[in-house]
Amino acid sequence: MPVSALAGLTLLVIGESHLTLNNYLREPLQKALLAQGAAHVHTVGACGASPGRFLKPTPVDCGADQVDNKPAVVLGKEARTTPITELIQKDKPDVVIVIMGDTMGSYDKPVFPKTWAWQETTGLTKAIAATNTTCIWVGPAWGTEGGPYSKNNARTVEVSKFLASNVAPCEYIDSLKFSKPGEWQTLDGEHFTQTGYAGWTKGIIAALQASPAISKLKKK
Amino acid sequence: MKNPLILLALAGMLSTTAAMAVEVPLYETGPAEDSSFVRFVNGAEKPVEVIAAGSNARISLDAAKPASDFMAIRAGKAIEGVLARDGAKQNVSVTVKPGEFASVIGLDDATGGLRSVTVLESPDDFNALKASVAFYNVDAQCASAALLAAGRSVVLLDGVPEGQAKRRQINPVPLSVQLSCGGQAVGQPLDLGTLEAGQRYTVFLVPAGKSSRIFKATDTVAR
Repeated sequence: MPVSALAGLTLLVIGESHLTLNNYLREPLQKALLAQGAAHVHTVGACGASPGRFLKPTPVDCGADQVDNKPAVVLGKEARTTPITELIQKDKPDVVIVIMGDTMGSYDKPVFPKTWAWQETTGLTKAIAATNTTCIWVGPAWGTEGGPYSKNNARTVEVSKFLASNVAPCEYIDSLKFSKPGEWQTLDGEHFTQTGYAGWTKGIIAALQASPAISKLKKK
Repeated sequence: MKNPLILLALAGMLSTTAAMAVEVPLYETGPAEDSSFVRFVNGAEKPVEVIAAGSNARISLDAAKPASDFMAIRAGKAIEGVLARDGAKQNVSVTVKPGEFASVIGLDDATGGLRSVTVLESPDDFNALKASVAFYNVDAQCASAALLAAGRSVVLLDGVPEGQAKRRQINPVPLSVQLSCGGQAVGQPLDLGTLEAGQRYTVFLVPAGKSSRIFKATDTVAR
């Protein structure tokens, strides 16, 4: 049996609404990361949180916090973000995994706000880089066209391409490679059914296992 | 994040298991319009002060720090202020579009006073793996202005009309640039140091008496 690249690592996973409710991405990903041998996994989800919301404490409409196999704390309007530097200082993770993209898509607007997204993205990546922590950024997955968020394939591609060239020094994982457009059913265009989240989890785990950043970390 | 709605209406479309999950409040997936910025630059010979209209806020711009950081402003709303030096004053007003970066550049006028030129950029080249270098031309005296890689006579940026800017991505390597006017080198090479990946830089071309000069600034956004 091959040795898992994640064995023994302490992981901090932050992201948007996909990482909040139990039936979303958080629970299957948390279980899979631990099953792959990660020593500790701390996942923090904040609904609607763009990257900049993780630079200072900010109220969000809902959130979740889960440590290892303990039950998740799922919060409503009382949820607030914790600054990434504070999370890193407390957890001392080997790797920070950022799962964000949909909160920057402006799917219902005619133009992708590139300058704003650049500020948001680089604000977070620089804060993580300043702690010398290995960082991996997981971009948005295909949704289904329409719904209350107006999720659409063209803008999703635009966001993913933007992130691919702007998250360095974080390594980028392109979630669009994990499925075909519309292949994973959604609840609202953006959030997947459990089958979709299972597929996304599988894709992320495979990408992490093959990650050059994690491989490099293991050689240190 | 305003006016959150609960997406319960979709529950009927879903399996029983999935329906239990549909309680994420609807949130914005980005701003209504893109971010915009303004900065002030001293292209004159002596130090200049920028005074914001309606306040005592001042920024001093001198040879050591000729450009302010880019400051976030609201698109479509005029930002007004004054450039001041030794009693000479120049009122400035700038209005930007979403996603636009404005640089208000103070210059010496022919009578010893100040004038200003505003250069607007809507960059589309954000990239954390490359450096980005811009050439701002606010000097009518320099014909066929071009920026060359010093010592190699390789053109980095040219064909920039007066009052406009051009920008390109460059690998993060040490770089020194040379101004060329009318095909002739003007002044000494300008050392930009080792360019950093993800960092953005501007080289300004301004008049210097009857000649021309260039100086640099790092395009820092105030956070």
